[in-house]
Amino acid sequence: MERRELLKMIALATGGALVGGELFFSGCKSTGGPVTFTPETIAFLDEVAETIIPATSTPGAKAAQVGEFMKVYVTDCYDADDQKAFLEGVNKLDEACNKMHGHDYLKATPEHRKELLVSLDKEAKTVQDQRKKAYDDFVKAERAKGNILPIMDFKNPVASHYFTLMKQLTLLGFFTSKTGATETLRHIQVPGKYDGALPYKKGDKAWADSI
Amino acid sequence: MPDNNTFDAIVVGSGISGGWAAKELTEKGLKVLLLERGKNIEHIKDYKNTTKEVWDFPHRNGRTQQEINDYPHLKRDYPLRESMADDNWSPWASDKDNPYTEIKRYDWFRGYILGGRSLLWGRQSYRFNKWDFEANAKEGIGVDWPVRYDDIAPWYSYAERFAGIQGTKEGLDVLPDGEFLPGMEMNVVEKDVAAKIKDHYQGKRHMFIGRSANITQPKPEQNRVNCQYRNRCWYGCPFGAYFSSNAATLPVAMKTGNLTIEADKIATQVLYDKDKKKATGVEALDTNTNKTYTYNAKIVFLCASTFNSTWILMNSATNIWPDGLGSSSGELGHNVMDHHLKVGAGGTVEGYQDKYIWGRRPTGVYIPRFRNIYDDKRDYLRGFGYQGGANRGRGLQVPEFTLGAELKDALSEAGSWSMGLGGFGEILPDHSNKISLDKNKKDKWGLPVLAFDVELKENEIKMRKDMANDAAEMLEAAGVKNVHTYDTGYAHGMGIHEMGTARMGRDSKTSVLNGFNQVWDAQNVFVTDGSFMTSSSCVNPSLTYMAFTARAADHAVSELKKGNL
Repeated sequence: MERRELLKMIALATGGALVGGELFFSGCKSTGGPVTFTPETIAFLDEVAETIIPATSTPGAKAAQVGEFMKVYVTDCYDADDQKAFLEGVNKLDEACNKMHGHDYLKATPEHRKELLVSLDKEAKTVQDQRKKAYDDFVKAERAKGNILPIMDFKNPVASHYFTLMKQLTLLGFFTSKTGATETLRHIQVPGKYDGALPYKKGDKAWADSI
Repeated sequence: MPDNNTFDAIVVGSGISGGWAAKELTEKGLKVLLLERGKNIEHIKDYKNTTKEVWDFPHRNGRTQQEINDYPHLKRDYPLRESMADDNWSPWASDKDNPYTEIKRYDWFRGYILGGRSLLWGRQSYRFNKWDFEANAKEGIGVDWPVRYDDIAPWYSYAERFAGIQGTKEGLDVLPDGEFLPGMEMNVVEKDVAAKIKDHYQGKRHMFIGRSANITQPKPEQNRVNCQYRNRCWYGCPFGAYFSSNAATLPVAMKTGNLTIEADKIATQVLYDKDKKKATGVEALDTNTNKTYTYNAKIVFLCASTFNSTWILMNSATNIWPDGLGSSSGELGHNVMDHHLKVGAGGTVEGYQDKYIWGRRPTGVYIPRFRNIYDDKRDYLRGFGYQGGANRGRGLQVPEFTLGAELKDALSEAGSWSMGLGGFGEILPDHSNKISLDKNKKDKWGLPVLAFDVELKENEIKMRKDMANDAAEMLEAAGVKNVHTYDTGYAHGMGIHEMGTARMGRDSKTSVLNGFNQVWDAQNVFVTDGSFMTSSSCVNPSLTYMAFTARAADHAVSELKKGNL
């Protein structure tokens, strides 16, 4: 599967384009600065990621070191606003857990963790819908003004929801990790031939995303 | 060789055109100096990211804020990504070292390395058709091509046989067949869509495998192995399976013993003798030492890429022509063209759940132009072709708000098929679309930079409506569901098919080059990269550069032998 398919999949699963680095209109945003991820934060993010993509018959997000990947990606690829949204999200997620279950996320059972994240997923989706509308309205206004160029200088007035960012980076980090690509998915470095009608039956693994 | 700095011929630039010029001239016995402004790239050995996997990159091949800052132009589209901009493999030119001025936005994506963009091209290889060479004269656009299809057809064959183009013969006037290696396969969905399009449009529209310079049979005489379906062409192919200067033309030229390559040298001007009305050589600047070198030769081939060849001409013989060698017609720097794109349609395909794909095919499907040919008549001139394909993705069937094992399982299986078509539209030559020297802005080496004053005009803007709607109509006719059109906007240059600025023609008063790519004002100077293009057609242009370069080299050597140069 091609990288654009991976990005499409992430966009579909999170209601919007992958934040940070991949967008071509990130020109006028403020570059992110150095941010602090403590080992505790990384461990916390591993636990969030593991609820989204758990170990099953194959390793999950924690084994794929998705928390560590999030640190690298947020530090180097996010702009300042998204960095802020992401890091504040660590506390907000705990607050939401306390509100729903009466204790911190790390103390929650797997069932409670999942219940919380599904509710955050819903909350995040409404924010994504607002962000999408803001972008679409901006593009529409630019086109109405006769601008036929690709949009380059858009800054979304609606801040990203932290759970969207965490979910996106979980999917990206997991499926591009070695375990994700070769154990949960399958990957062949040198296919050697092309077959456009390869037999497939439900349950067969999908191909990993090409670089 | 008489001395270190004297050659029979100098070729400036090592991309598709320069590689071909070097091959042809050395094979005909000339001692050739090849100047390349970028660094040396050794075939295979220097393709350091070509066997890496996505997890080998810390940002999983995303783009960092640092890269975005470092590449203010390249960041505007897909070429900028981690694996193409790290310490091991950074084939794209540095935007910081090589600035340019945008009177209007221009996206200029340059490959300053040995091999140039022959390492970075999309490899799509199509012939112009007979109408492409006649349209300017018929419609009163620009100037007439001094060449007709029959003049260039044998050279297309010559180029195809050496480069190795896979494709299928279709017998169409609009997209002439060539000398193909066995064509790659369309996948099961593409085959059905192709059949339905053929049926629906009663043989007037066609879809088949995109013809590309990826070999499907080995070429042992060139040490090239057939395509292994990795689709990692942009990282350099360790099998030499796609055509690049590095894999194909330069090794052949080297083998003759007649080629000298000087990398890290920017050709700054063609040296001109006004009494003999000929070039005497080339002046070049070493990018590491800033030292200037003078090289002498009987003939000069400018293959420095479209705008850079014109930039060299603009800096040459300015004591005679203030606007440079070749400017006497008033057309040097004018008539910038590209192919406009980022418009088309896509949708999902139901069924085919028992079929999947093995291998990563390095080409898609192609639908040749059908507008404004035969009895079709639109409110704009010329037309467009489509490139696209069908793919089976994953995750398209996952219900919203699914997390956990269910999500993981769903995303681990193949999902729905989807099919997309993206248009590539012809851009008319327009005198007002121009580049010029900005003498107030200098690059890293203190050289004046180019200023771009180029925009999309009415003809192309009108065409884009058809490019979106026709794609949607064909997909719907083929049974594709959820069809949506898109036009995400186009900035000139995004096609990375820059053409024009030193067009060829029949009259020295209205063109820069004659019908054999010779500068009218200095007939031993040949320009054979995209600069020479008199019109753009809607097909990818590189194969046409190969054919014209080989033809020009043949003419140059024959004229040299006759004592005419």
